[in-house]
Amino acid sequence: MTVTVTPEEFRFVHFDAAQTARIADDVARLTGIDRPVQVEIDETTPLSRVRIDLGDTIVLHVESGAFEDTKRPRHQSETATAASLARCLLKARDRLEGGFGEAPTDDDLTLQQAAAWDTYCAGRMARLGLTVNQQRFRYNFRNRFGFTDQVDTRFERVWAADALTWGELQSLTSGESMVVDAP
Amino acid sequence: MRKFFPVEELARDQRFEQITMRQAQADPRTVLNAESRNKTNRLTPDRADASDRARGLMHGIFVGEIQALEGAGRTCWDFETGTEAPFALKLDMARQAWDEARHVEISVKLSDWMGTEIGQFAENTVLFEAACSNDPVLRLAGVNRALEGLAIDVFTTMKEFGDLAGDPFLEFCEDWMLADEVTHVKMGSDWLRRITENDAERRKKALEFQQVVDKLFSFGGTRSDSKESPIGLARRFRELAGFTDTEVEDIAEMSLKALEERKAFAAAALAGDTTADPA
Ligand SMILES: [Fe+2]
Ligand SMILES: [Fe+2]
Repeated sequence: MTVTVTPEEFRFVHFDAAQTARIADDVARLTGIDRPVQVEIDETTPLSRVRIDLGDTIVLHVESGAFEDTKRPRHQSETATAASLARCLLKARDRLEGGFGEAPTDDDLTLQQAAAWDTYCAGRMARLGLTVNQQRFRYNFRNRFGFTDQVDTRFERVWAADALTWGELQSLTSGESMVVDAP
Repeated sequence: MRKFFPVEELARDQRFEQITMRQAQADPRTVLNAESRNKTNRLTPDRADASDRARGLMHGIFVGEIQALEGAGRTCWDFETGTEAPFALKLDMARQAWDEARHVEISVKLSDWMGTEIGQFAENTVLFEAACSNDPVLRLAGVNRALEGLAIDVFTTMKEFGDLAGDPFLEFCEDWMLADEVTHVKMGSDWLRRITENDAERRKKALEFQQVVDKLFSFGGTRSDSKESPIGLARRFRELAGFTDTEVEDIAEMSLKALEERKAFAAAALAGDTTADPA
C-alpha cells in the first residue's frame, strides 16, 4: 500500500512529511485499509478538521491542528497524528465495507451523528492499542446528547461496539434528545 | 526565604511545558484566512470542535489559577508591611491566594471531568510575569485589573458555554469563580485608587502598565467585542469590578484595533516574513 503526504516542506508548522507517511502507513495497516492513502495537510489553519474523499485512493484533507502537539504549539505530535488518522481511516473503512450506505455525507452529519461515530471509532482505536482518552469522548458525547445517566449508558454501548451498521449505530445512540444541527 | 521570584524558576513537574507570550502569539495560523473560514471564532456549543476548544480554554484557566495563586502569595511576602505595602493590602492578597488555591482545585476537577490531563496544553506564563514588578501597585494594575479583568471575560464565556451545553458542573463552577474574580479585580481598582491618591505619577505608571498587559492579550485577537475573538468582553461584570465606562470603552477599542493589527501581522507571515516564526 502507498502513502503520500503533501506538502513535503512546511512554512507555518514544524511538521515532518516523512514521519507522517510512516505513521499513516502503520495506522492504515492497523485499521485494515487495502488501498493507497494520500494525506494533504493544510498548514495555514490551527483548526483540526479532516475531510475524507473516498475513491481508488483515500484522500485525507487534514487541518494542521489535527496533528499538533498541544504542549508545543506548531510542532507535530505522533500520538495526535496516529489518532486523527485512525479515526478517519476507520470511518473510511466503515463506508467502504458497506452497512454505512444510508450515512449522510461528512458535511451533512449532524453534530450528534458525528459525536456518535467518533465515539464508535475511538472505542475501536482503544482496543487496537492506540492512545485514546475515553473521558474526552464521553464529554463530547454528553455535550451532544445530554448530561444524563441514560446518555452515559448509551455511550458505553457505542464505545464497546464492533462491526456496527449505520442503522445499528443510530439505534444505539437514539433517545429523546433534540437533534442539534451543524452550524 | 528569597524575595522576587523569577518566572523561570516556578515549581512545575515534568507534566508541564511552558511557553512565552511571544511564542503563544506568533502563530500566524490563528488569523490566516479567518474571515473565509469561519463566521465566528467565539466558543459556543454549536461549533463542531466545541468540546475540544472548551477543554483547551479550561486548561488555560487552570494554569492561570496556579500563577494567580503564586503572584498573590508573592505580593504578601515580597514587600515590607507598612513601608512598602499596607497590611490591609496584604490581607486582601492572602484572601485572594486562598480563593486562587480553591480555583486551582476546581479547575483540576473540571479538567478531569472534561477529559483533559494536567499539562496537556502548553502553559503561558504571562500572568506570573506581570506579578514580578517591584511596585505592588503595578502588580495590582497588571494582574488584578488587566489579567483578572480578562479572567472575568473568560469565565463569562465559559459559563455561557456550560449553560448552553447543559453541563451542570461547568456552568456552576464558572459562576462561583467569576464572583471571586470580580472581587479580585475590585481589589485592584480600590487599592490602585487609594495608594496613588496623592501620587499622580505612580498612578500614571500603573495604568500604563495595565494597558501594556491588556494589549498583550488583545494583540492575539483573543478577547474583543468581535465574534472573530474566542472570548467576549464582559462589560457588566467589569463595571461591577470598578472599571469606569471610559475604561471599558478604551479596552473595547484597543482590542478591536489590536485584532486588525494581528491580521496584518498574519498577512505578513503568509507573504513570507520569517520574523513571524517564533521557533
Ligand atoms: Fe482565580
Ligand atoms: Fe483571581
